[in-house]
Amino acid sequence: MQDLELKTPPEAPVEPLPANGDGTPGTAGAGAMIVFEDVTKVYEPEVRALCDVSFIIEKGEFVFIVGASGSGKSTLVRLLLKELEPSNGRIVVGGRELTRLKRSKVPMLRRNIGCVFQDFKLLSERTAYENVAYALRVQGQGRNDIRRKVPEVFSLVGLADKMSSYPDQLSGGEQQRVSIARAVVNHPPLLVCDEPTGNLDPDTSVGIMQLLYRINRSGTTILMVTHDREMVDKMRRRVIGLEDGRLARDERRGGYESE
Amino acid sequence: MRFRILAAEAWRSLAANASTTVAATMTVLIGMFILGLSISLGSYMWSWSKNVKRELVVDVYFCATASVEPWCTKDATTKEINDVGNLLSTMPEVRRMDFISRAEALKIMQRKSPELAEGLTGNPLPASFKIIPRRGEDVFRIANRINSARPPGVEKAKTGEQTARRILRVATVIEIIFGIAIAILGVASALLIANTIRLSIFSRRREIEVMKLVGATNWFVRGPFMLEGLICGIAGAFLAVVLLFLGKEAALPAILGHVDYSGDAQALAFVWNALILVGFGLLLGAAGSGFTIRRFLKV
Repeated sequence: MQDLELKTPPEAPVEPLPANGDGTPGTAGAGAMIVFEDVTKVYEPEVRALCDVSFIIEKGEFVFIVGASGSGKSTLVRLLLKELEPSNGRIVVGGRELTRLKRSKVPMLRRNIGCVFQDFKLLSERTAYENVAYALRVQGQGRNDIRRKVPEVFSLVGLADKMSSYPDQLSGGEQQRVSIARAVVNHPPLLVCDEPTGNLDPDTSVGIMQLLYRINRSGTTILMVTHDREMVDKMRRRVIGLEDGRLARDERRGGYESE
Repeated sequence: MRFRILAAEAWRSLAANASTTVAATMTVLIGMFILGLSISLGSYMWSWSKNVKRELVVDVYFCATASVEPWCTKDATTKEINDVGNLLSTMPEVRRMDFISRAEALKIMQRKSPELAEGLTGNPLPASFKIIPRRGEDVFRIANRINSARPPGVEKAKTGEQTARRILRVATVIEIIFGIAIAILGVASALLIANTIRLSIFSRRREIEVMKLVGATNWFVRGPFMLEGLICGIAGAFLAVVLLFLGKEAALPAILGHVDYSGDAQALAFVWNALILVGFGLLLGAAGSGFTIRRFLKV
């Protein structure tokens, strides 16, 4: 964590973890980033992963999704990425209704959603730089753009000097920073994090959370699925709790446990 | 630009999975080599059997004084000969017929076996029609019709029956065997390529997952695999063509020295054979990878 603070450029000072949230209350307005409306997902045969879940997440919010294993968190993320189709209900992401989105448009959707996972999902035979450049190349961006954007994002995540390292030469925290760099290099309006600190020690986790916080401050909506009790309690942001596939609570400045 | 990226990805993957790539290319090579062999041998056989069939004729002999058949008591008259000629020309199986008079028959005999002809006193040979059927197989039908109707003046219609039947049977069997062999080899090659692509997809699951995650279009994900299959197919076919060419240059003259049949039979020109092989390799690569991608690469 100290590591991160030393490297942070002066024009973007790391702020202490804030005590209060900045999201505005949600009505289904034009400003909504994610709308879940009575979403139900039933896996064959008869396993209810999500049941009538409704919530609205506004642009620029930082939201935690908490819940025990099997409560439907991962299903929620996969629905957002249109890896799964809801059995019932409506999902809108960035103004696009996912159930009506054609399959051929799914790549476009995913380009607008950055994803960070517990296991980083980096390609081990490519350097950190190539991993990030790969995302841009896949999206059809030109060489010059790639040469400009990748170093930029590496200095944002504080790894400017590790660009040519391979993933297994990096620590867990550094690998997660690379994966965050890959997720945000294209400035997506939404960043979805599925337990990003699940594999990291507490100090490293704080560094990652500070980085995510900074990304959120630049306007990116962040939805973070987590088990990290301490982090949720410290951040005091909006918390959506799932229990057995149902929305158990939705608190504007919640802690990990409901109060 | 986009193609360069695709090609680079395909190449990267081929190099990374070198052993499976080599295995696939080798199987295509073997398949295509045998296919090429089959095509040249098959086309040679086909052309040979066509030639043989062309030599299948029906001879309709007329009565002559030397005839042994009891119904031949005198030479066939001109009218009888003309009637038979008219009858033959109404049969749809007949492609061509040539009249060979007794004098001509003697001339042919003198040319073919002069010793025999010299010992003859007079001309015992009958006049005949030499009939060339539309298809080689028709010889029996024509002969049967003439022999059962037996128009006046006709001694007998003959086919070189034994030989003809055997030749036809052999030719048919050869055609069928080559057809089956080519079909089996084609399917086998396609399946092997499909399997290679499947392995390749399997060994790159993570990469595919990441590609989808960062929003690669379906074609971007599929492209490298498609290209991989095509490269395997073409490379295998090309190597097979090279091997066949070497074989043709080195082995064929040695073999031909010992074969004395020198008919009009001709194998398909090598260039065409090569083009067919490369085209087939391309097709196999596309079919194999396309099939696997559809099944195992849901995007």
